[in-house]
Amino acid sequence: MMAKSRYFYCLFLMNSLINIINFTPRELLDTRFDGAQSSILVAVVTGTLFIYLFTKVINKFPGKGLPEIFASALPRLLASPLILIYAVLWYFAGALILLSFVDITLRFVSPDTHPTAVLLGFLAVVCLCSRIDPLSLLYGLEVTLGITLPLILYTTVKAVVNPNFSWDAVLQMMTYSLHPPDMNSIAAATFTFSGYINMAIFNRVFHGLKLKHVWILSLEGLLVLLVTFYVPIGYHGTVGVERHVYTWFTTADSIRIEAFLVERMLYIFYFAYSTLALVSAIIQWHVGKELFLSQLPSTGGKPKAKLRREVVILGIFAGGTLFLMRMDQYNLNMLGVFLLHVRWYGELLLILLLFWCYWIIRRRRA
Amino acid sequence: MSGQEHKQEASLNGIRGQLSGFGDLEDKSLTVPAGQVSLLYIKSVTDGQAISRNIIAPFYEMGNPAGYYSYIADYPGSEVVTEGPRAVELLLSGYACIGWQDKLCFFDVLRAEASSVKETVTESISQGPSDALGENLAVNLNLIRRRYQSAALKMEFTVIGNMSKTKAAILYDEDRVNPEVLAELKEKLDSLKLDILQAAGELEKYISSDKLRIFPKTIVTERPDRVVFNLAEGKVAILLDTTGYAIVLPSIFNDFFIAMDDKIQLPFVGRFLKLLRILGVAMTLWLPALYIAFTSYNPEIVRVQIALLIGGSRATVPYPSFVEVILMMIMMEFLTEASLRLPRAIGPTATTVGGLILGQAATAAGLIGNIMIILVSVVAISNFLVPLNMMSFSIRVLKYFFVIAAAFLGLIGVVICLVGFTLYLCSQRSFGQPYFKLFFLDTIGTSLKKKGGGQ
Repeated sequence: MMAKSRYFYCLFLMNSLINIINFTPRELLDTRFDGAQSSILVAVVTGTLFIYLFTKVINKFPGKGLPEIFASALPRLLASPLILIYAVLWYFAGALILLSFVDITLRFVSPDTHPTAVLLGFLAVVCLCSRIDPLSLLYGLEVTLGITLPLILYTTVKAVVNPNFSWDAVLQMMTYSLHPPDMNSIAAATFTFSGYINMAIFNRVFHGLKLKHVWILSLEGLLVLLVTFYVPIGYHGTVGVERHVYTWFTTADSIRIEAFLVERMLYIFYFAYSTLALVSAIIQWHVGKELFLSQLPSTGGKPKAKLRREVVILGIFAGGTLFLMRMDQYNLNMLGVFLLHVRWYGELLLILLLFWCYWIIRRRRA
Repeated sequence: MSGQEHKQEASLNGIRGQLSGFGDLEDKSLTVPAGQVSLLYIKSVTDGQAISRNIIAPFYEMGNPAGYYSYIADYPGSEVVTEGPRAVELLLSGYACIGWQDKLCFFDVLRAEASSVKETVTESISQGPSDALGENLAVNLNLIRRRYQSAALKMEFTVIGNMSKTKAAILYDEDRVNPEVLAELKEKLDSLKLDILQAAGELEKYISSDKLRIFPKTIVTERPDRVVFNLAEGKVAILLDTTGYAIVLPSIFNDFFIAMDDKIQLPFVGRFLKLLRILGVAMTLWLPALYIAFTSYNPEIVRVQIALLIGGSRATVPYPSFVEVILMMIMMEFLTEASLRLPRAIGPTATTVGGLILGQAATAAGLIGNIMIILVSVVAISNFLVPLNMMSFSIRVLKYFFVIAAAFLGLIGVVICLVGFTLYLCSQRSFGQPYFKLFFLDTIGTSLKKKGGGQ
């Protein structure tokens, strides 16, 4: 059984949708007068370029994950630390989503539930599910997108056609478009495009990825970024928008649904994004777990031994996240922004490394 | 080339070749000193008495093959056949084949088990066939062969259970079946170590690999038309003697939501009915959990009016919503279980006691909110929208996971449960086939290609 190329788009879509949750809108809105809009354009171009280059090179290694590729081309002393660094990155990506969502849940949905209880609930489902095989995870991702995408589209359309949405504020904002781009914003905005990076492990179930219409990806990314950036401005005003931590959740809370059992858009938004965020955390931890597993000596195909290792790794993941929960909102944000940067350079490095591996292997064969 | 021509002409060996793998094919030669004739028939569709009375007895009485052959050929309803395909067709539709020298004659000995076949009980439909599988394997095979007259339908027999010695027939369409599934099934059946096997559901429990699971991976059905429908889709059916149910595998999640009258309805009506079922499942799973979330954790989610209405109806209820929900749902389960076991004559008592006394009195006493009563009835009814019992029972159990998660974490518990079970469903495999994913996306792609669209 192997995955169809369609699932690559699912991975992409997942990342581009969840970027709205926390760090990307805040980073973009912080620099809204200093080049956020031009950064969005730069991010769309570089993001698409990254996707194009990455899929080109990963296609040369059908059915192989990052550990296998590195093992076949690089010396062990170089490959192992690199993979461990990437594994830690992936772990933090998943953990940050969970921690953000615990904070959001506490602030917007269940103020009386104990934060640890919420996090334990999240950790239970994420740890259990990240043990599932990659192909099933892709099926699950697609089903989740099938559930959440209509809700997200509804939220977006409802937000934009709302009479309370101030187009004047948006037009006012556009007068700042010609400002030169800003590094922070580019790093934040390219996160929209970085769903492809999970192919580092998921490529194991893809045999010959056939991508058609890459421009759809850049168009979708551009639309998502524009919505992410302009809709909060349309609701909170060009200046008022900076007062919110979870900008998009406050924005969703400003919208009223007139004819439904649920009156506040926030809950629809929260339901859709929490579902998607959990699945994305599961996928990220799956990648992190697989990268760590690849660095342990082979178990010789014994399922019991593999299970024990997975339990240890996921236990460490969960324990680390519980420890990270002691961070306050400010530190969480700093870590998130730091990670956005590191991730971007990491992606660039990964693509270069893959091209290098391909070059080494080709030279060896010749 | 030569093989093709060989097939075209009716010959005993040709027939034998085409019907290889037919466990119920009877192939005998009748011998008297003056010569011999061959007798071929398929046991499950023929009448054994008619064969011995009209075919076998006259042969030995006459003692003369040539005379006997002309007796058979002249018998009303008999047919002398020279073409291969027609010969197999006749055999499958209940004829016996008598071969003498190179000539083949077909003699009508069809057995139609109309009288002893009962009507469906657990899977009733509004229109369409109402025959149900019985407890006699031969009758069941007859029911299926009559609906699936193809030489590709193979039957293999085996015996399961050291003590019960239950006869089992494995049926599959040779051209459409996935050979890996078949191999895996046979391997599992061979490795079974059982003493007693009495029901189809029992067997499904033994041949599924993982012990901890809530979703059925094989359909247990009493409808021969469902078996045939699935056989044509390339699935394998196992029929057991002494049980009125067949097992169909591999079965994926969507298969459990197909009712056999979907095909009879107009396309839009059929789709609407399927949508109803999905909605029913969603409601039965989520309503109790959401009720807990809305009353105990997040009353601000729903409109103020609704929140007030629920709050008002719970004004006298002396315990948290979780207790209320669990209490009422357990009551409902008691009622369902009890009305299943009660003798027919006392049946109405259960509904009276349950519906009137429990519902009315409990709310009047202030133990249960009015809304809760409505909710429990909706949950109980929508649960049984699922056409297949196995799945509707799974969902009956599943809703308690949602209730418990909601009791601990409110709305976020429901979300966690939803994600968990979605991924769990996706991780399941039924004999190597993915159990749950967005299958319709796969079919959209292929149907576009078939129509020449898409590109």
